Amino acid sequence: MSTHIEELAALVEAQLGERVRRYAAPPGELAYELAAPQLLEVALILRDGPGLAFESLIDVAGVDFLDYGRADWNTSTATSTGFSRGVNPDVGHTLRGERRYAVLYQLLSVSKNQRLRLRVWCDGAEEPTVDSLNGIWASANWFEREAFDLFGILFTNHPDLRRLLTDYGFIGHPFRKDFPLIGNVEVRYDPEQQRVVYEPVSIQPRILVPRVIRHDNRYDPALLAGEKRNG
Amino acid sequence: MGLEDGAPAQEFTQRGFLTTQVDSLVGWARTGSLWPMTFGLACCAVEMMQAGASRYDMDRFGIVFRPSPRQSDVMIVAGTLTNKMAAPLRRVYDQMPEPRWVISMGSCANGGGYYHYSYAVVRGCDRIVPVDVYVPGCPPTAEALLYGIIQLQRKIARRSIAAA
Repeated sequence: MSTHIEELAALVEAQLGERVRRYAAPPGELAYELAAPQLLEVALILRDGPGLAFESLIDVAGVDFLDYGRADWNTSTATSTGFSRGVNPDVGHTLRGERRYAVLYQLLSVSKNQRLRLRVWCDGAEEPTVDSLNGIWASANWFEREAFDLFGILFTNHPDLRRLLTDYGFIGHPFRKDFPLIGNVEVRYDPEQQRVVYEPVSIQPRILVPRVIRHDNRYDPALLAGEKRNG
Repeated sequence: MGLEDGAPAQEFTQRGFLTTQVDSLVGWARTGSLWPMTFGLACCAVEMMQAGASRYDMDRFGIVFRPSPRQSDVMIVAGTLTNKMAAPLRRVYDQMPEPRWVISMGSCANGGGYYHYSYAVVRGCDRIVPVDVYVPGCPPTAEALLYGIIQLQRKIARRSIAAA
């Protein structure tokens, strides 16, 4: 597709070689995935390598691939089955691949005007672990705290890995797909104790927005393959 | 000046006087100076600011936003009340001097609204503080909030200080 993306891809692959693998990205974007043990050296080369110069880390995002590719609501039969399928209580979870958690890094080079996406697969199923990039890009500090808070991804050598967003003393990681949407506790004011108390949640879960996988032209496998071929 | 020489009677007859009930007088004073505690939590707060700004101009009802609960009469809970914010909200309410009132503004504060099934949101701020007036909407317009405040004024005016 666009030549500057291919030029950047050639530069990256020349300096990182076998450590990274390119995967499909929308046109005009470049994305690589790698295994967790190589993250630190790859990040250093991306920041300091000639022609790369990714000085800033724009964002860090956790991803949970549990139930990936599974739809609550099939669009082709939706008119006959209706919305109630999405309301039914969940019947367990499925993990398609071997790995469940990934961390995505969005990099920007201001001096070269180029962007790059990194996807790192975490080691460990119950305690996903990757190295902290706080020593390479200082902006990783709060991003990694957020990913730890919401997904329970552990960043080794992070200087201050505390929860960032959820309630004080919160138990669980709410963005994990097996975390119940209604949570486990709810609060109310107790006039006798004269303070806000936590109690087990009293309502039934209800899925208001079912996961939908559409089967229209945009998701045609042939078209997606073409997108991948063109980069 | 004493009653014997008739001077006060002369003052009354010449300068005039009014009679009223204590309840009416106190109600008039309270409704005319409702100072809300600024408690904007989400997008409803923008609509609350709009109600306070020049177009709707809540100042003309004697409504002046205060940054401190100790100077406030009414708390407008404007927005989504999260579990994490519940204890601070109650603390602020406890710091307000009596008599005090609460307006719950918008779907989220009324009953959780859009976030009713969320793991992090209180399903209605009346689980935390006693609410006098509920203003529906997502978010309510500035007119709706103003109408809610006028309803609260009517409620206050109706109340006897002996009952309070």
